[in-house]
Amino acid sequence: MKVLKGRVIVSDGTLRGEALVSKRPISFLGGVDPNTGVIIEKNHDLNGKCIKDKILCFPHGHGSTVGSYVMYALAKNNLAPKAILNERADPVIVVGAVLAKIPMIDQLKIDEIKTGDMLEIYCKEGLIKILGE
Amino acid sequence: MLDGEYGWACQVCMQILVKLGELYGATRLIPISSAHISGVSYKTVGDAAIEFLMEIAEKGAKAKAFSTLNPSSIDPCLIDRFPRKLVEKQAEILQLYKRIGAVPSLSCTPYYEYVPAKNSNLAWAESSAVVYANSVLGAWTNREGAPSALASAIIGKTPNYGIHKPENREPNIIIDVLFQPRNEVEYGALGYYIGEVIRDKIPIVKGIKDASLDELKQFGAALASSGMTSMFHHGKKSKSNERLEAVTVEEREIKTVIEKLSSSKLEPDMIFIGCPHCSLQEIRRLASFIEGKKLKSGIEFWVCVSRYVKNKEKKLVRIIESSGAKVLTDTCAVVTWTDKLGVEKIATNSVKAAHYLPTMNKAEVLLIPMEKCVEIAYE
Repeated sequence: MKVLKGRVIVSDGTLRGEALVSKRPISFLGGVDPNTGVIIEKNHDLNGKCIKDKILCFPHGHGSTVGSYVMYALAKNNLAPKAILNERADPVIVVGAVLAKIPMIDQLKIDEIKTGDMLEIYCKEGLIKILGE
Repeated sequence: MLDGEYGWACQVCMQILVKLGELYGATRLIPISSAHISGVSYKTVGDAAIEFLMEIAEKGAKAKAFSTLNPSSIDPCLIDRFPRKLVEKQAEILQLYKRIGAVPSLSCTPYYEYVPAKNSNLAWAESSAVVYANSVLGAWTNREGAPSALASAIIGKTPNYGIHKPENREPNIIIDVLFQPRNEVEYGALGYYIGEVIRDKIPIVKGIKDASLDELKQFGAALASSGMTSMFHHGKKSKSNERLEAVTVEEREIKTVIEKLSSSKLEPDMIFIGCPHCSLQEIRRLASFIEGKKLKSGIEFWVCVSRYVKNKEKKLVRIIESSGAKVLTDTCAVVTWTDKLGVEKIATNSVKAAHYLPTMNKAEVLLIPMEKCVEIAYE
C-alpha cells in the first residue's frame, strides 16, 4: 500500500472515498456544471464525469477566478467533491475550498493515484493512503 | 477580527485573507488602493453566490477600499429579451454589491476609467485585468478569486505574498517569438499558447515590442485563460537573464491554437467584439470600419464596452449603432445568456471569448480579426 504526504490546506478529520483523477488542470468556471457536478469542459479527460463525493485529484486550477464561487455553489447543491488533491494549490481552488469547506491537500504526486482507487485521507497529517481499487 | 469581534462578515473575510497569506508565505496584510470584484453576473455565479453576498451584506459588511465591479449578465437594452426571473436575480446581486459599497462599473476593464497608480498595491479579480494591471500599467496585484477580492475590499488590505514582492515579479522564462503576429487574433493565440506552456511562470516575451496596448490586452487575456500567469514582461526596457530557460514559438503553433478554437466554415448569427471590453481606440477603429455600412439582416453585432467608454465616444457609438450594431455596457456575450437568445454561432476577435463561449454559451466559434468580422456581417 502506497502512502503519500502533502501539505494540508483545508482540514476536516479523516475521510475515505474513491479517486477521480485528471492529468489536466480544471477550470471550475465553464468547466464544471454547478447544477449537476458534471465536468463539461470540451476535450477534458474527465468530460462527462460527475465529481460529487469523489476525491478529485488534478494538477492545479486554471481559468477564471469566479471558479471559487462555483465550488461554493457545488457545496450548496450537495455536489461538491469529498476532497481535493492537487500537485500545486492556486488561489482560485484554495479560496473555493475554504468557502465550500472542502478538505484540500497539495504538494502531491497526483500520477501515483488512479481513477477508481479507494483513498483514505488523514487531513490533519496530510497523509493519503492508496488502498487500491 | 479573525475571532469574530467585528462580526461574522469581517471574520469570514479575514479567514480568506489569512488562509491565502499562510499558504503563500505572507508576513502581513498591506493596504490596497483599490479592489476589483468579479462574480457579478448571475449567469456565472448563480444562487449560491447570492446567498453568500446576502449573508455578508446583512451582517453589515462595508467596503473599506475603493471597489469596482466586473460585468453583470444584462445590459439595459436586453431586459425585455430575458425571463423576468433572471432580470430580477441580476438586479438583486447588484443591489447587494451596492449595499456593500462597490462602484457599479460593471466592466472587465475598470482601468480605463480608474487608472491605478504605478507600483500601487491592488486586490483585483478578473484575470485579464490582473495581467494588464501588472504587465502594462505597472500596478501590483495577485490574481484574486472573486471571494478574495471581495474580502480585500471589505478589509481594505491584502496579504503581501506573490506578485506584491519585487523578487516575485522577475521573469523566470524567456519566450522567443520567431514570427510577427499580424493582428489581435494572432496576439491572442500567441498568449494562449504561451499560457499553456508556462503555466504560472512569468515570461519575458521577446519579439512583440511593437504590439499596441489593445494587442497586449488580447495577448494577456488569452495568456490568463489558458494558464495561471498573472504577469508578463515585454518591450525594449525589459531586462533579460540569458541563463533562463528559453522557449521558442513559431507561427505554426499559433495556427494550431486558432484551428483548435475556431470552426472555419461557420456562418455566424452573432458577432461579438469587446472581450475584454473595448478601449476608446478599439471603438475608433471599429467605427472607421463600420461607418457608412449596413448590417446584414439576421445577424446580431455586439460591441461590449464600459459605461465610461460609451459615454466618452458618443458620436462614434451613434455611428456604430446607426449601422444596426449594438453597443452594450454592463455585460458581454460570455457572461450573458446568448443561447437563450437563440444564438448558436458566434464570430469574435477574442481568443479569451473563443475559449469560454463553447462551454459557457453552447456556441460554435469563428475566430477572426475585427476587420474580418465587419466584412462578413455588413452588406
